[in-house]
Amino acid sequence: MTEAIISAEALVKEFPGGGGDRVRAVDGVSLDFERGEIAAVLGPNGAGKTTLLDMVLGLTAPDAGRLTVFGGQPQAAVRAGRIGALLQTGGLLPDLTVKETVQIIAALHHQHAGIEAVMEAADLTEIASRKVGKCSGGQQQRVKFALALLPQPEVLILDEPTAGMDPAARHRFWDRMALQAEAGTTILFATHYLEEAEQFARRTVLMHGGRVIADGPTDHVRQHAGAAHITAIWQPTAGQLQQLPHVESHQVQGRRVNFRTTDSDALARHLLTATDAHSLTIRPASLEEAFMQLTTPQEAHR
Amino acid sequence: MSITTYILMDFWRNLRNIGSTFFIVVLPAVLYLFFGVYNEWSDFPAGEGNVSAWIMIGMAVYGAITATTSLAGSAAVEIQQGWGRQLALTGLPHGAFVLAKTTIALAMALLPVVVLNAVAFFTTAQMPAGVWLAAGALTLVASLPFALYGLAVGMLFRSDAAIGAASGVLVILAFLGNAFMPLQGVLLDIGRFTPMYGSTALARFPLSDGEIIGTAGPVGSDPLWAVVANVVAWTAVFGIACLALQRRRTRRQ
Repeated sequence: MTEAIISAEALVKEFPGGGGDRVRAVDGVSLDFERGEIAAVLGPNGAGKTTLLDMVLGLTAPDAGRLTVFGGQPQAAVRAGRIGALLQTGGLLPDLTVKETVQIIAALHHQHAGIEAVMEAADLTEIASRKVGKCSGGQQQRVKFALALLPQPEVLILDEPTAGMDPAARHRFWDRMALQAEAGTTILFATHYLEEAEQFARRTVLMHGGRVIADGPTDHVRQHAGAAHITAIWQPTAGQLQQLPHVESHQVQGRRVNFRTTDSDALARHLLTATDAHSLTIRPASLEEAFMQLTTPQEAHR
Repeated sequence: MSITTYILMDFWRNLRNIGSTFFIVVLPAVLYLFFGVYNEWSDFPAGEGNVSAWIMIGMAVYGAITATTSLAGSAAVEIQQGWGRQLALTGLPHGAFVLAKTTIALAMALLPVVVLNAVAFFTTAQMPAGVWLAAGALTLVASLPFALYGLAVGMLFRSDAAIGAASGVLVILAFLGNAFMPLQGVLLDIGRFTPMYGSTALARFPLSDGEIIGTAGPVGSDPLWAVVANVVAWTAVFGIACLALQRRRTRRQ
């Protein structure tokens, strides 16, 4: 068994909501992250992603539950420079230049990777003397990425790291992140861009309403949501349609029928063996669909 | 890790902020040159020195107070706008931020005190050496309560614009506090109860022992207890405002 470097058990964090009642931003989350993992925490706004990451970084204390990072307090790991983080938008001083920002934060670490080195890694060398307030949103995210790299962390926590970046910049950002991952850095990131999780994370944790609603290898999470699509050429009767196993919904388009299924293998076998449907195509659902599937029922009984 | 580097860089960042440095150093120095140097009243006696020295102390108090107000206010805004989270991800120990900002605010407050005293020394001001030093030191001390004023505004409005406005209000408070033009009559009676009056009178105490100087001679006097009472009362008001705002903020989290 590999070592869990971040270990959370039944974490709860509440905030005062409107009208005097308290809102559970994180509601009983238990998760372990191992060394070398690249995991995405996925969820809509208000799912509790930022609150969860804030607790891992020691910026917020949980109301209940147990949380250890490298076997100790999160703050201790942060102070020792073992965790670096890129926080959400805001949080830089607009009247410092890019280079001064890196220098002033570097001065507060016990040891750092070198100002030139992190500026190079975050592609900031050309805008070194620009005031942070004059940088675009994407450039500011790169400044924060440089700050996250400063302590040469073993774990990188990224909260919506590509917010404000155009698609090309986002692509370059993940290329740079891939270099970090290859070097053995554990990466834990929150995003609401589903394709970022699909392309970059081997593991996906799906959050909704403060709870983890799915967790596992990204492919499995997608399958766990059940969803796949089967299209067949077939003209079924209403009775035939009712006998089909594992069908969520269907749609007839001329000679074709589109099925949405929770078990594509079983449905395909049935269609090919028990009916005269032919020319089947099977397509796995996107993470987006998985996400909709997993969150909608929860929405219904809230 | 080097907190000294942080302090030096942050001090330099604040110093090159032309807007606030103008009000902290340039404005009081220019006002002093207009009203305190080579006027007909400049060399009239005022306590142990002359009116020029009396006016200089008032201007230096204004500059120092503007420094503590804007530095404390912008520190509160910085923390709330996310820079505090950035710092929390470094090796900076708890409380070191407050220590760093206090050092920077004191250095910024020292700036007008040094500049004004130097200008006064080389022009028309007259005071015994001991009074120079005592008045300079008390100017710094008297500017400290206004750090709480800046902090309260920063916590309440969370914006740099509000800090600018709060510093602007200081011009009015300085006028009412008898720091600029010598007041008399009704304005002086009202001014006695305003926040900057106590600080200004305290810094001037070594010079005139409580005597209030007008452009044509003394117009009254304040006992030391009244001066200290003003400072203590307004420090308490600002302090309580900070505590209340802090409590409101913690409840929200």
